[in-house]
Amino acid sequence: MGAVPIHWFLLLAAALFSIGAVGFLLRRNLLVLLMSIELMLNAVNLTLVAFNRVHVANHDGQIMSFFIIAIAAAEAAVGLAIVLAFFRLRKSVRSDEAHVLRN
Amino acid sequence: MSDSVFFAIAPLLVVSLGGLLLMMTEVFATRRADADGPSSDLAMGTFITMLAGAITAFALWLVGPDNLAGAKAVAPYLLVDRFTLFFDMVLCLGGGIAALLAGGYLPEHKLDRGEFYPLLIFSTAGAMVLASAGDLLSLFIGLETMSLGVYAMVGFRRGSMRSTEAAIKYFLLGSFAAALLMYGGALLYGVTGKTALAGIGAAIRAGVSSTDWGILLLSMVLILAGLAFKVSAVPFHMWTPDAYEGAPTPATSFMAVAVKSAAFAMMLRVLISVFGDPLSTSWGTGWPPVVALLAVLTMTVANLVAGRQSSVKRMLAYSSVAHAGYVLVGVVALVEEPGTAQGSIMFYLLSYTVSTAGAFGALILCGSRGKEAVSYEDLAGLGKRHPAVALIFSFFLLSLAGMPPTAGFFGKLYIVSSSIGAGLHTLAVLLVLNSVLAAYYYLRVMEYMYMREPAAGAPIAVPMRSGYVRAALAICAVAVLVLGLWPTSSLSMAIDAALALR
Repeated sequence: MGAVPIHWFLLLAAALFSIGAVGFLLRRNLLVLLMSIELMLNAVNLTLVAFNRVHVANHDGQIMSFFIIAIAAAEAAVGLAIVLAFFRLRKSVRSDEAHVLRN
Repeated sequence: MSDSVFFAIAPLLVVSLGGLLLMMTEVFATRRADADGPSSDLAMGTFITMLAGAITAFALWLVGPDNLAGAKAVAPYLLVDRFTLFFDMVLCLGGGIAALLAGGYLPEHKLDRGEFYPLLIFSTAGAMVLASAGDLLSLFIGLETMSLGVYAMVGFRRGSMRSTEAAIKYFLLGSFAAALLMYGGALLYGVTGKTALAGIGAAIRAGVSSTDWGILLLSMVLILAGLAFKVSAVPFHMWTPDAYEGAPTPATSFMAVAVKSAAFAMMLRVLISVFGDPLSTSWGTGWPPVVALLAVLTMTVANLVAGRQSSVKRMLAYSSVAHAGYVLVGVVALVEEPGTAQGSIMFYLLSYTVSTAGAFGALILCGSRGKEAVSYEDLAGLGKRHPAVALIFSFFLLSLAGMPPTAGFFGKLYIVSSSIGAGLHTLAVLLVLNSVLAAYYYLRVMEYMYMREPAAGAPIAVPMRSGYVRAALAICAVAVLVLGLWPTSSLSMAIDAALALR
């Protein structure tokens, strides 16, 4: 059993989640936005696995992280397909190129 | 034991198996070059699958979910109760109507590829999982199954800049919201050690330490933000008009009815089972003031912006945002009047489903290839040229505006009366004022159809001919009329289905 206290894991996860969220809000490259979302989901996984060390009675946290990994992969597949379709039409992966639909 | 499990989740199984079957038949089907496209068989197959799902759900309703031995075996991942069954019926109805609309729309607009229908069915199955999810795990799986299908449907017109852009915006903001929701869920698991919603709620009621309460508040904020994205509440609604406008209209109709209903089902379950303790439901420390603020903003902003649109489809998108605001008023009323408020929300979602699907369907019927009805001007003089199409469009618009004797009138009436019962007079008055405001842009469509002549040389919309779209409109019209003339039986069903009564 490692001696690293739980709150270090949680702080790391919170930092990862914040980096992902800030990256999502500030960056303009669609691929970076996709990666930011992946980073946020990985922070969720880390949080779940870390908390599972506190709640030793079951493995719910770890089991859930497996499912999130699988779903994140499916999400990335659909997301990349959409970005690819966008790139074919626009020859760009910048999100500010998406401005056809406006008020 | 094992076969009773299959019986308990029959609606979900029927829809999923139907989807697999249709997908396989489409893969192995051989078509002659001069034959009709895949829509000719798949639309009807999809509709029958959804109908079978709805009928199975209704059969389980009659049997009574408490009499199903297998229901306990799938709990807490899938909760089989009347709440689930009610939403199964609403979602299958929304999905079935979207399939019929697609059967007319896709061939007309040269989009006739078979993938649309399996995507539609699996999205509906995901929405059904979401409505019945009693655990964070199944909630996330249901949410993503539903959303991934819809992302693909929104971007279905791959060669179109608008459709792809709509898909990009919807995908990015939808996944961002899902990540927020899941981080909130992970924090809840950390505080309570449970992933089942009821278990989390029980642990919170039993009391948590003050540091844990801070984490709990953070998770509540994250989850509320994620839910607000999914139901498209202002200020989390930016994606809605773009995604609704760019998507093929049957996909828009599916998003407006099924996705929104399933998101509200998730919201009700989470708020009632997880955040149902006295501290979380108090006006000082809990979610009611936040949701009330969201409701007011959503109604007012959406109605003000909707009146300024020149595209009818975009106006309907903003109108669907405004309707989410009306439902949020009912959500605030949950605290004081749990049973009637929830019954009124569910009745509203049912009446909103048939009215909105009908309005989008009428918009589809108004246009044909190259002559799609988009702006108000396209509809000018439609009442003279094609009286039947204009009449049915007006009927659904009146229901959305909340005129008697339509479903929309009673939906609004019940929400208003439950919010007055809960002592929320300000919210009730704002809701009524907003529906007056909304009548302006609904009636404007009718003004163009009946009182304007198209400008000389302007492109005019030519209605398409499609039995599928007409069938969908007939179903919606009958449902709107029945709910508007005899609302009591479906309202009492909705109240029976209310979670909060138990």
